[in-house]
Amino acid sequence: MDTRPTFYQEITNMMYATHGDPISTCIQCGTCSGTCPVVEFMDHTPRDLIGMIRADLKDEVLASNTYWYCASCFHCNVRCPAHIDIADLMYTLKRYSIWKNQYPEGLIGPTFAETFVKMILSGGRSYEPVLAPAYIFNYGLQGFLNEALTATGLLLKGRIPVLPPRIKRLDNFRRMVGHIIPASNLVGEAK
Amino acid sequence: MSEKVGVYICHCGANIAGVVDVAALSHWAGELPDVAVARDYKFMCSSLGQELIEKDIQELGLTRVVVAACSPHLHEATFRNCCKRAGLNPYLFEMASIREQVSWVTANKTVALEKSKALISGAVHRVIHNQALEPIIVDINPNVLVVGGGITGIQAALEIADAGYHVYLVEREPSIGGHMAQFDKTFPTLDCSACILTPKMFSAGTHPNITLLTWSEVEKVDGYVGNFTVKVRQKARKVNTELCTGCGICEQKCPKKVIDTVFEAGMGLRKAVYTPFPQAVPKYPVMDVQNCTFFQKGTCKACEKFCPTGAIDFKQEDKVVSFDVGNIILATGWDLFDCRRIPQYGYGRLANVYNSLEFERLSNAAGPTGGKVILRDGVTVPQSVGIIHCVGSRDKNYNPYCSAICCMQSLKFAHLVKEKTGAQVYNFYIDIRTPLKAYDEFYQHILETDETRFVRGKVAEVTDAARLPGEEGKLIIQVEDTLIGKQRRIPVDMVILSAGLEPRHDAKEVAKLFGIGCSADQWFIERHPKLDPVATMTEGVFVAGVCQGPKDIPLSVTQGAAAAARVIGLVNRKQVSLEPVRASVNAEQCSGCRICNNQCPFNAISFLVDKGVSEINPALCQGCGTCVAACPAGAITGSHYTNAQILSQIEGILEVELGQREAVPA
Repeated sequence: MDTRPTFYQEITNMMYATHGDPISTCIQCGTCSGTCPVVEFMDHTPRDLIGMIRADLKDEVLASNTYWYCASCFHCNVRCPAHIDIADLMYTLKRYSIWKNQYPEGLIGPTFAETFVKMILSGGRSYEPVLAPAYIFNYGLQGFLNEALTATGLLLKGRIPVLPPRIKRLDNFRRMVGHIIPASNLVGEAK
Repeated sequence: MSEKVGVYICHCGANIAGVVDVAALSHWAGELPDVAVARDYKFMCSSLGQELIEKDIQELGLTRVVVAACSPHLHEATFRNCCKRAGLNPYLFEMASIREQVSWVTANKTVALEKSKALISGAVHRVIHNQALEPIIVDINPNVLVVGGGITGIQAALEIADAGYHVYLVEREPSIGGHMAQFDKTFPTLDCSACILTPKMFSAGTHPNITLLTWSEVEKVDGYVGNFTVKVRQKARKVNTELCTGCGICEQKCPKKVIDTVFEAGMGLRKAVYTPFPQAVPKYPVMDVQNCTFFQKGTCKACEKFCPTGAIDFKQEDKVVSFDVGNIILATGWDLFDCRRIPQYGYGRLANVYNSLEFERLSNAAGPTGGKVILRDGVTVPQSVGIIHCVGSRDKNYNPYCSAICCMQSLKFAHLVKEKTGAQVYNFYIDIRTPLKAYDEFYQHILETDETRFVRGKVAEVTDAARLPGEEGKLIIQVEDTLIGKQRRIPVDMVILSAGLEPRHDAKEVAKLFGIGCSADQWFIERHPKLDPVATMTEGVFVAGVCQGPKDIPLSVTQGAAAAARVIGLVNRKQVSLEPVRASVNAEQCSGCRICNNQCPFNAISFLVDKGVSEINPALCQGCGTCVAACPAGAITGSHYTNAQILSQIEGILEVELGQREAVPA
């Protein structure tokens, strides 16, 4: 007998410590998708995605753009009648997807997420001048110029620090993160 | 002292035997001191199991019996009767719960066996100290109190009154009839609600065996099954009911108009002196002192001037009446979920969002619009109507339970809207639940004939903020149509929220008043959810209708009648035997400190001034044990719970050596 956990079990396990109730309690009412402000850009609605996870449709879920488009507004969480932490489910799927190195081509989400985590692990804080250029060319040259103009403005007003900030005891912090996220290979790289 | 104890261990099929090694257990029990025989059997509660015990009592001369099986809650009475049949006093029997407290709570066979041994050892030690007791026989007062004059209470009252017993029907509002009187049609057959209800109201109002106490509330309940004393506060109507003929002139002449938030659900007006609706029973009006011009400003008295019989009595005060009853039926009903708690549905903010009771009044031919379904502006007929199911129900943010009536109610609304306006109707549902007789037929009928669009999805929000063309001036319902997996925005003119049922806001206090329990949702708790749905854990107090949990009219009527049947059965017996578990004071040890006197929740303890000691009235005592614990001299003993019994049981439990085990992971 195959004792490896199914995709559904893996996702459930990864969500074990979240605030919400397990996704097995979803009644497929669609409150989340009805509420979602960015649902029109998603190829599957959040409710649909929960159904797909419960059906163990791993490849279809990992090929979906839904969770990369989640804006983390947490409106679905507030309204969910089953108290499922849907926004956190989206984060879980992002982590899983990066962990398995399996996500749709051409999405800025995975690149952004990976850059962000690496940057946090290297300095302990977010630093926009490094974060932005890493994925900004996805919008083409015009997009880059627009962003650069905004960034310069912010820099002049003192809204963006000139030098990357660093926190104390970075090693402890990295070890801590390594315990939490399965993408621990990133921790190694960052060192 | 040599008692002969028989120990019987039940397999309960695989319920116990699947976890506990019953053979080893019965072998071990056979070796205990004083145990004459120990046996295990598949089902002790079966007639064969009981015969086994009876045979042993007679043939082996057992003087004590211990059964290790389920909870005493379930089968203590069964085995007590079994002992009685074999000639053994039923109180010389003891039960050890090795199902609820052992096999159902662990899968670990080692600890299960150890704990079973401990419980049996405790029971054996205790049973030796048990004393033979005789039940206390008391008379039953044939009068009955029914609290709540909705359809459930009316049904119960009529059944009991027809059986020839006297009923006091207490209702908080000015008229009986309850929520059903507010409805226009009733599902699934669309009977006119008033047509089927008012004859029953009239019967209840005129029945010689029914004393109607409307505009009244129960204040105090004392006593026990068969002998309750009830105090009821009759709020001042400011109308002398002996003179009033119910002509309605006072109501006509009253110049003060008030929004009726109770009967008309805020949709219509009433006067300051009023009967809630023309068919009200009793016909006597009540005066709303908060809004009466005379009471607020000191002038007016129009009602008094015009009353042809001089029945208006501004000086009338609340009256507290007291009477004795033998049994009580609670049928206190429900409150509607307050839709304001879900701000995204816009109720109370967007004018044309209605709750279900408001729509009932809107569609009622006797309602404020004469049955015309129109928007709040009072003229516009809606072209499209959205009906939202499960509002406040099946939602952990509000009420987690299903309110049971909303699906059918929403289908009824869909039909009524279509019939009265021809509007396009949308039903937004999560699941359609039509489980009772002819209910699904009604659903099929709506599907076939009414052109109602069914959208499967819980509505995310109702808004008046137009975003797309065609949405201006409309209410937009934003929802995921889960069957196509797409978010939709559906513009409509009117939204009806099918709000759920909630326990009465004061259900907890009422439960306390009558000495019964409330569930976590605050519905009254029945004795057994399946097999004893109208009795409660308090003898002589019954529950019926929605106060016990959400249900529709047919089920409420059924429960009302069921509770009445239970009461009639009890009253017919004329006497009831009470458990002889009672406290008694040892006069020689009593110092007369009177600490116990105020502790007793049943007022059963009185102080004998001449003897200088306290005394307990065994008929009032319920054996709760409060005084036993309170007595500083240890002068009070609770029979069947004596110190000797409890201490020896603890000793017995501790005698069994429990093995070391790992800490249970949190």
